[in-house]
Amino acid sequence: MDSSEIYHVKQQFILGAYKSLVALTLPDPNSPDYTPTLLYQARAHIALNDPDSALRLIPAGSDNVAVKATASLAKYVAASGSASKDAQEASLEELRDLAVEIEGDDAEGSDSDKALVRVLAGTAFTRAGEIEEALETLGVDTEDLEAVALIVQIYLSINRPDLAKKQFERSKRWAEDDLLLQLIESTIGLVTGKDGYSNTSSFYTEQLGNPSLTSPHILTARGVTRILRNEIPEAKSDLEESLEQQKGDAETLAALVVAAGLGALKKAETEELWTRFVSEHPDHPLVLDVAAKESLFDECVAKYEVPALAA
Amino acid sequence: MSVMLTKFESKSNRVKGLAFHPTQPLLAAALHNGSVQLWNYRMGVLVDRFEEHEGPVRGVAIHPSRALLVTGGDDYKIKVWDIRPQNRRCLFTLHGHLDYVRTVQFHHEMPWILSSSDDQTIRIWNSTSRNCIAVLTGHSHYVMSAQFHPKDDLVVSASMDQTVRVWDISGLRKGSPGSGGPGGGGQGSGPGTFETFDSFSTVKYVLEGHDRGVNYAMFHPTLPLIVSAADDRVIKIWRMSETKAWEVDSCRGHFNNVSSALFHPKHELIVSCGEDKTVRVWDLAKRTAIQTFRREHDRFWVLAAHPNLNLFAAGHDSGLIVFKLERERPAFSVHGDMLYYVRDKYVRSYDFNTGADIGLLSVRKFGSPYLPPRTLSFNPAERAVILTISSDGGMYELTGLPQQAQGDVKDSSVDGKKGTGQSAIFVARNRFAVLNKATQIIEVRDLANAVVKTIKPPVQTNEIFYGGTASLILSSLTSVVLYDIQQQKTIAEINSPPVKYVIWSGDGALVALLSKHTITIANKNFSTHSLIHETIRIKSGAWDDTGVFIYSTLNHIKYCLSQGDHGVICTLDNPVYLTRVKGKTVHCLDRSARPRTITFDPTEYRFKLALLRNNYEEMLYIIRTSTLLGQSIIAYLQQKGFPEIALHFVQDTNTRFELAIECGNLDVAMETAKEIDRAECWERLAQQALKQGNHKIVEKAYQQTKNFDKLSFLYLATGSTDKLSKMQKIADARGDPMSRFHNALYAGDVQGRISVLRDVGLHPLAYLTAKTNGLDELAEEILEAAGLTEADIDDVPSFPASNLKPPPIVTSTTNLNWPAISAGENFFDRALAEGSLEGGVEPAYVNGDAVAGASALDAWARDEEVQLDIEPEEGAWELDADGGEFEAAEEEAEEAVVEEELGAGATPGVSETELWVRNSPLAVDHVAAGSFESAMQLLNRQFGVVNFVLLKPLFLSIYRSSHTYLSPVASLPPLHLHIRRNPAESSPSRVLPVAVRSLQSIRSELAEGYRFVSGNKLVEAQTTFRSVLHALLLVVLSSDDEAKLWRDTVTAAREYLLGVSIELERRRVAEAEPDNVRRNLELAAYFTQCELQAPHMQIALRSAIGVFAKANNQAHAARFAKRLLELKPDPKIVAQARQRIAAGDRNPRNAVDVSYDEFTPFEICAVTYTPIYKGSPAVHCPYTDASFLPQFKGSLDPLTQLTEIGAPASGLPASW
Repeated sequence: MDSSEIYHVKQQFILGAYKSLVALTLPDPNSPDYTPTLLYQARAHIALNDPDSALRLIPAGSDNVAVKATASLAKYVAASGSASKDAQEASLEELRDLAVEIEGDDAEGSDSDKALVRVLAGTAFTRAGEIEEALETLGVDTEDLEAVALIVQIYLSINRPDLAKKQFERSKRWAEDDLLLQLIESTIGLVTGKDGYSNTSSFYTEQLGNPSLTSPHILTARGVTRILRNEIPEAKSDLEESLEQQKGDAETLAALVVAAGLGALKKAETEELWTRFVSEHPDHPLVLDVAAKESLFDECVAKYEVPALAA
Repeated sequence: MSVMLTKFESKSNRVKGLAFHPTQPLLAAALHNGSVQLWNYRMGVLVDRFEEHEGPVRGVAIHPSRALLVTGGDDYKIKVWDIRPQNRRCLFTLHGHLDYVRTVQFHHEMPWILSSSDDQTIRIWNSTSRNCIAVLTGHSHYVMSAQFHPKDDLVVSASMDQTVRVWDISGLRKGSPGSGGPGGGGQGSGPGTFETFDSFSTVKYVLEGHDRGVNYAMFHPTLPLIVSAADDRVIKIWRMSETKAWEVDSCRGHFNNVSSALFHPKHELIVSCGEDKTVRVWDLAKRTAIQTFRREHDRFWVLAAHPNLNLFAAGHDSGLIVFKLERERPAFSVHGDMLYYVRDKYVRSYDFNTGADIGLLSVRKFGSPYLPPRTLSFNPAERAVILTISSDGGMYELTGLPQQAQGDVKDSSVDGKKGTGQSAIFVARNRFAVLNKATQIIEVRDLANAVVKTIKPPVQTNEIFYGGTASLILSSLTSVVLYDIQQQKTIAEINSPPVKYVIWSGDGALVALLSKHTITIANKNFSTHSLIHETIRIKSGAWDDTGVFIYSTLNHIKYCLSQGDHGVICTLDNPVYLTRVKGKTVHCLDRSARPRTITFDPTEYRFKLALLRNNYEEMLYIIRTSTLLGQSIIAYLQQKGFPEIALHFVQDTNTRFELAIECGNLDVAMETAKEIDRAECWERLAQQALKQGNHKIVEKAYQQTKNFDKLSFLYLATGSTDKLSKMQKIADARGDPMSRFHNALYAGDVQGRISVLRDVGLHPLAYLTAKTNGLDELAEEILEAAGLTEADIDDVPSFPASNLKPPPIVTSTTNLNWPAISAGENFFDRALAEGSLEGGVEPAYVNGDAVAGASALDAWARDEEVQLDIEPEEGAWELDADGGEFEAAEEEAEEAVVEEELGAGATPGVSETELWVRNSPLAVDHVAAGSFESAMQLLNRQFGVVNFVLLKPLFLSIYRSSHTYLSPVASLPPLHLHIRRNPAESSPSRVLPVAVRSLQSIRSELAEGYRFVSGNKLVEAQTTFRSVLHALLLVVLSSDDEAKLWRDTVTAAREYLLGVSIELERRRVAEAEPDNVRRNLELAAYFTQCELQAPHMQIALRSAIGVFAKANNQAHAARFAKRLLELKPDPKIVAQARQRIAAGDRNPRNAVDVSYDEFTPFEICAVTYTPIYKGSPAVHCPYTDASFLPQFKGSLDPLTQLTEIGAPASGLPASW
């Protein structure tokens, strides 16, 4: 059983309150909470796309497999920023080794450490597009909820909500009403849109009322949900509120661009917002996707011969 | 008139009265033996019998709209019956007549019953109050018949007193208003008080002329004529006016009493019958006999005509016959999308696509005027037809059709080429074949009607048909022959009943040979064929585009697949003649040769066809879209050997189990067996699993049924030693020594065996067992326990030590199931699990949403069905609208797949964007889905858009606004989420992307454009209107109203764009070419011709007034001013306008001659800004419908700058 501090840390991590998590002071190095807190903090740094801070945080030369895996993931994320193939491959290899290592009977580390290694390796593999490998590593029969969350998102990303649901149903049997389980359910809801996204919407609304943490990420998530529910003005207010708390958050901005396009803002303002977003976050999937569509458009247009203008 | 076609015949006692049911194929017959029969003449079955009259029943009638029958008999009674099968009974009896009742009849609208009687009276009864409301007296002998007039308040009666009388009963309606209601009219007057009624009805005319008693008289349905039949063997026709009636003519020919004579309900014919055993047909106009039908022994007593159909019934001494006077099958021929057919002796063409139905050629002078042509053969190359007719011993006529319909329809006699022959068809572009049945010679003639070849057919040929290139199909009594004209030899012969019609499939690969009760489907060289039997007469047929033969019988439309499978599509009230099948529509001709269409649901046969062709994609598509369920499809699939497919449809556990066993799907069988949990199921599962070598399931099944013996044996067989030892323990626990022994034996456990034997007291056996297995000590012990010594048993022979052991385990079968050949990944498993089919292209026109054309059968007609078939809307397919049930099946299918996939990588599913593309025909939805290519194709097809570059920002912003991202899990790439139009809709088959721009928002942009116009910012206005038109291309519409609003918006934007462009051009001209006053004026004038709103129109008009006044075109300026006044502007402007008008009046001249005629409507060419007056040729923008001079066809539209002028376009699809 986790201590209440760890529970709180975990909750923050799950709900995406990475900023406040990063700001926490670490407990005493001798405390049993030290390593877990450290790991969550490091992962929060990674989640914030700041792997260098994570690497600074992680003590070098630790024997703990989870710590090593976190470091590898951080390196991988750092490398993917630099687009250096070799570095990426090297850190993936590290993770692969770790994943194999923990499979051995005499492997060191607690069960939770091993599970974390799998989650981290799975994360890296997914980022690298190695979905099959990720699923293999995570093990679709795992009883680690974090792994399930990962698997579910992977399934959702390949348009297999049916399989995602199966994972969720399976997890319900042993995970009871864990917060993470609720998040998983709401994530599935985001994709399937069951009952008009009501489950997702109420989950995020509920978490917004959670007194023990504040996370702009939840606001963003609810904003996105509201976009999906075609509640554009409400979505806009959520997103703007979220932006106030975390200026320039790519995800929130991306959602705001979409909301603006759906009538939250005037056309000119929308375009301005978009131009700004493109310049500030050129790597955001939305930008990349639209750019791809732009070239697709040009390609398609070329197939039509335009006659001369009548005159 | 050479035919009188008997449709039905029955044997019975003498028939004295007959009545047709107006809508159903029922006929009531009143019999001399007192019975009233109700026949279904189409099916030939006796539906009901009413037997309460004593003595002969003469009069019978069926109510025109209600299920009532009235009968009158020699027991003086009139009885009214409810004929609905569920409550058939005599409702009431009318007493009053004092002698035989001869005829009875219902009034067509009042609740009246008319009866005539030998008591010399005619009575009218109110069937509601059940009272006699009038007694018509005057005849001085038996009244043999009385009939209401079809419209007026008249009655015509015939009597043995040799007169026919016409009675005026209008007093009955006026005089007793309450007579229609219950209890009205005759409250105080019981039967017998005749005097009270006499004032209501008076004799209008007494028609004298017959020399003997008159048996029957009736009014003409539409003309003021009466026909009467009498014992003087004469039929007389009488005419009447308002004031008098007189004899017109007589028809002589019957040589005995004429029992009855009827006007044909539609044609100018009289049909009569008499005691001379004949039924005769007469020409009403010429009063000449046309046809006589003789019967050997039976005198005819009564005739009845069907009110709507070409059907008659005649009653005679030993039964009745139902007949028709002419063939109703219209002669027709289909070529491409055109149908050529004959109606009312005119050859007509009917376009299946447009429905245009044109008369092309009159054939009135061809053959008998009473007979329609029998066949029509069309020659597309020469645009000629050959018709045949059966009159005059059979003849044909070859005529060219006019190229276009003209005012004066040509008559075939002008240049038609005739000849004798029973059958004539085109066999080549310039050749036709004629069969002469009597001489058995087929002549091949050229278009000049000259014989070029003579053929002696190899069989006795009754009819010839086109047999493919240079071939004929010859129909004989017992076979059809495919005959090569060139080589004059038989190619193939199929045994078949006489073939009456031949229908070739569209590609000429298959041919359907229709006989009376069989259909033979053959390929083009007759090398393969299949036969279908029908119990009911086959009428016609046509090929579906997919190679399914659709045919009609008397009361069904059915389908038949080439391998012979057939089924019902829908039921028919009346026979139709199928001409063409297109998608869900059957084109046909009805009995009066009018083209009709019937929409039906092709799902069933398309599914079967797909099954037959292993076209799983299409099957899956049908399954998905139509939710096929129900017993019949399961039974069908099972029967056809596709239980594994059936398994996908079934939810019922028992059926699932059966199917799973049948197709050896042990997983499903296991699952369902668990649910059912009955011993027999487990046993069957065990058997099946044993067959497949899946011993694990066998084990499970045995365990469930506690079949210990078999279980033990199974363990022995699989070498599962530890399980065997467990079984031993179980046997111990159960205390079953036999089982213990078995298990010990199987396990090779000698000790165990001995101990069992000892426990049950079989010491000798125990001893010997111990001994032979070398367990001497134990043997001693047993001996001791038995109280014996070695010496006592020295007579027991000693056996050598046994070296038998249980067989060693060679393969540890326990741990592996017998490998079964993988059935391959079933297409359905995969597709259903993935939630979609890959690359699924929507088949051309399969859908489950069509309303079957079948009309609900009522109680009677259902009796006919006799479970021959299942009605499409009931049992057959259960095309369930909601997909819910299917989804369940889907999940089940997934289950199986997931098991395998756990661990391995899952294959990606169908993305939401793909669903969007699949679910919508709207370009905007394709854009939102990112499928730009298909979106462009749609825009191009729907609106002729070619210049897409301008739409790029729209495309991108729509796409951008339809998707969003969220990362619920740390450090993973964010989830790509898709925004739906209707968040409440999550079914994959209905999700659609969000509507990025609403029509409303575009309209507000339009309003912004209006403001620019008002503010004289024309350049901005032009841009805005153009952008509005661009945006309107990509907007989601959801109803007809919205679509209309959309069209209005497009038109408004176009008009403004045009107007603004004209005004801009005018300003440019004014600037650049100040001398070109004329053009300046013209453009100002055209601007006022655009459809603008009043405030903007005022601006346009005032600008025009100013320009024209300045150019000293006072008359024109005054006209504009007048138009301005009509718009009721400001008082200040009114004053100016009046001045202008006054100036115009003073000086009504125009200094500059301009091309502007405001009195002729015109459109403005949007390129040249010149008028296109009404009637002049113009081309249009496929999107906005803006007009252009013809020379601009194919150029880019300058208004929207998107479309190709004059390109074909299908317009906005209605997707809601």
